[in-house]
Amino acid sequence: MNVFDAMILALRQVWAQKLKSFFTLLGVIVGVMFLISVIAVVEGMNRYVEEDFASSIFGINTITIERVRSRRGGREDARTRRQRSRNPWVKTADAEVLREKVPDIWYMAYNVDRFMPEVRSGENKRKNVRLIGVTDQYLALQGWDVVEGRGLTRIDETRAIRVAVIGDAIAKKLYPDNSPLGQDIRLGPFRYRVVGVLERQGGLIGNIRDASVVIPWGAYQADFSRRRDVVDQIQIRFRTSEAMVAGQGATEEILRARHRLRPGEENDFSIETASEVLDAWNAVKNVLLAAGPGLVAVALVVGGIVIMNIMLMSVLERTREIGVRKALGARRIDITRQFLAESATLSSVGAGLGMAIGIVLAKLVDVATPLPASVPVWSIVLGVTLGMFVGLVFGVYPAIRASRLDPIVALRYE
Amino acid sequence: MMMPPDNAVILTQELKKDYELGAETVHALRGIDMQINKNEFVAIMGPSGSGKSTLLNLIGCLDTPTSGQYWLGGQEVSQLDDNELARIRNRQIGFVFQTFNLLPRTTALHNVELPLIYAGVPARERHERATEALDAVGLADRVTHHPSELSGGERQRVAMARALVNQPSLLLADEPTGNLDSATSEEIMEILVRLHERGETILLVTHERHIAAYSNRLITLKDGRIETDEHHTIGVPIA
Repeated sequence: MNVFDAMILALRQVWAQKLKSFFTLLGVIVGVMFLISVIAVVEGMNRYVEEDFASSIFGINTITIERVRSRRGGREDARTRRQRSRNPWVKTADAEVLREKVPDIWYMAYNVDRFMPEVRSGENKRKNVRLIGVTDQYLALQGWDVVEGRGLTRIDETRAIRVAVIGDAIAKKLYPDNSPLGQDIRLGPFRYRVVGVLERQGGLIGNIRDASVVIPWGAYQADFSRRRDVVDQIQIRFRTSEAMVAGQGATEEILRARHRLRPGEENDFSIETASEVLDAWNAVKNVLLAAGPGLVAVALVVGGIVIMNIMLMSVLERTREIGVRKALGARRIDITRQFLAESATLSSVGAGLGMAIGIVLAKLVDVATPLPASVPVWSIVLGVTLGMFVGLVFGVYPAIRASRLDPIVALRYE
Repeated sequence: MMMPPDNAVILTQELKKDYELGAETVHALRGIDMQINKNEFVAIMGPSGSGKSTLLNLIGCLDTPTSGQYWLGGQEVSQLDDNELARIRNRQIGFVFQTFNLLPRTTALHNVELPLIYAGVPARERHERATEALDAVGLADRVTHHPSELSGGERQRVAMARALVNQPSLLLADEPTGNLDSATSEEIMEILVRLHERGETILLVTHERHIAAYSNRLITLKDGRIETDEHHTIGVPIA
């Protein structure tokens, strides 16, 4: 009996008794299904957090410096509120000193923004727009790709040229029929020229990017600035997290000195990193990754034991067949191989079903919930391999039992 | 140490088999000396408990003796291990059983192919030889049938094709007609006679005298020993 014959036989048995096979294989199915869908969600979230989410809001290895201000509707008491309202603004001068003195800066940008009730182009208008004045590395730092036209340059910035890069939603609204490039956009009383369109963001965190108009720092200062040289955010990106930690320390030191804070006095600015968000996700991920393998293992072991039982039954039912095969010249290894191939085929069918259901589940999660999910090829390979492995491992005992049957006894078995 | 003569398919010397049954030792075979030559058609008879099943198991290399020697086709096989015995069964012995022992879920052809599979014969040759063997027992048109679709006589003929497909030196038939009506039994026995005429060596175990009459030599066992051993003419009823 070669391995191929054994596989055919196993497949035929699965097919002949579909319902029984399904229950036999339930453990393996659930195990592999769980494995694939959990990995898909973790992978999806990982990619999302690390690539999209983190880079669009905070960015990896990036620190964000802001003035600590009192927030409307904030929960601080009157005293802190008074104190905070006295906090000095972060200024371009602060930013430029940081640019000069903080070690190992990779990217650095600062920006200021305001709400625009409406922007227009000819008859078309878009309400509720965020206008951002930025230095040249801002788009790169945010990871905002320009899909049409170009981004903003150092020259735009220093010469205060009236050009704008606009979000996808605005482009669609203002220029529904033709390319926005080279077209005018009215920002309040000013006429800017559109030089670029940002990649559509869509997705989880709404569409901040899609409803933004980005213009050079210089132009913003000239046309829109309420307080000259005030910076809303400074962002600095480092190449490594070690460099970021060092840079964070240096930044704090420099700003405290410039703001003349005495030892023991609280910072009047805040330095944030993406790590808080990443930490939260990592905690969730760790729970999933710690509990996941356990659950998968339990399901697979249960599945394996059920398969072992079914195989023992099968050996018992086919005692006579084993006797005949031995009488005709089958060696122990032939019988062992036959039953191993059978249990491995059986569990592979389970793994295949689990894989299919797992992929469908992952797709469902991807489509029906805001959670992103992507099924990596390695998880499919892992799932099917594990499933087959379970069949092999738990098939060993029944197969050896079968191979050790005494042919005389087996032939006489009724 | 003695060597078997060239024409001896089976040679046994002082073949003994004991079984432990609880605290008791059962002496199933108490010393069998026998020689069966090429192209003999031997019937073995004996009451139950006489040791004929045990002898058949030893001769069929399904079991090993407690003591004594057994040469099959010139090779001493009484001390071989499991795998070597499997190889001997595969190459030297063709089994025909009372209950046919066909695998129920496969075709007649696949059943006949089984010994060739374990002999490592490639698929194409396997197919050809199995088809020929089925043709030789008159079942060329039943190749794709499953055992459940065949009559008792046809099943036994499939079993005989399977026993012969690997060209063994010995055909062992254990009550081959025990599950068949008398007409079919006759049919099967005539095939055995034809095989004998063709040159096969056949060892037949039976408890029916008219079946034993098809052979040309009758050995009777009693209490683990050979009681009688007589040659006779084929077809002449045995008293």
